[in-house]
Amino acid sequence: MSKPPKMIQNQPHFEKLYQEYNLLVYNVALNYLQNVEDAEEITQDVFVQIHQSHHKFENKSVLKTWIYRIAINKSLDFIKMKNSKKRLFIFGKKSQNENEYLNSSNFEHPGILMENQENAKILFQTINTLTENQKTAFILSKVDGLSNPEIATIMEVSISSVESLIFRAKSTLKEKLAEKFKEYRKK
Amino acid sequence: METENWINEILNSTNGMTHVAPSDELFSKIQQRIYLKKNTVSSKTVWLMAASIVVLITINIAAFRSSKTKNSDNSEATIAATLTKSNQLY
Repeated sequence: MSKPPKMIQNQPHFEKLYQEYNLLVYNVALNYLQNVEDAEEITQDVFVQIHQSHHKFENKSVLKTWIYRIAINKSLDFIKMKNSKKRLFIFGKKSQNENEYLNSSNFEHPGILMENQENAKILFQTINTLTENQKTAFILSKVDGLSNPEIATIMEVSISSVESLIFRAKSTLKEKLAEKFKEYRKK
Repeated sequence: METENWINEILNSTNGMTHVAPSDELFSKIQQRIYLKKNTVSSKTVWLMAASIVVLITINIAAFRSSKTKNSDNSEATIAATLTKSNQLY
């Protein structure tokens, strides 16, 4: 690795920003992509974008919301890009499920307790079958532990919409998990 | 009942989850990318420069050709004038 460049403007300020938000960005990306290398790539992309325009945000709460949005959007774009590449590889056959890139993974989240790893693997596989909005609302609420008003600000929707998205996400997850339970019992 | 318990176990498997830190080199990788971005000429600029050079060369060729045509026209007129003068009988 070559020496880090010295020419970055507002270096101390940017470094402070990185120290403050790197866990947030990396963990959001990790929850979406379920791959350590891809999450690091997205974290790089997010901080390059933050470096370009963070001076516009003086209000800290606005900055945090903005960083969340960039991290989520970049993660979703990354999944779409990976899926379209995969589709191209199999000669343009369009998949019905946009999340096939994720479903093919068998990721063990490093932040999950050892005794919960197997269950969490099933949970993440099932989360990946949700629609984009349901998935975002569920991850931010259940995994990141954000409140409904915070999620509403990040997703730019009303609080009642967030409640409805989380409710529908949970119902869908329960239905799909019930199906999985039948397979699980057969084994 | 058994199904419900199992589903709840799965849904609660993220309880006690901790934040994961990225690798230590990530910040220097980001700095490197920002530095490269600042010091790399964008492809748009490169294409703009290439187009400007092509336009400049085209204008030069056109100017050279038109000046050449004018020169040959002038030399024909000079010869004709000389001939007219030398053909005078008195």
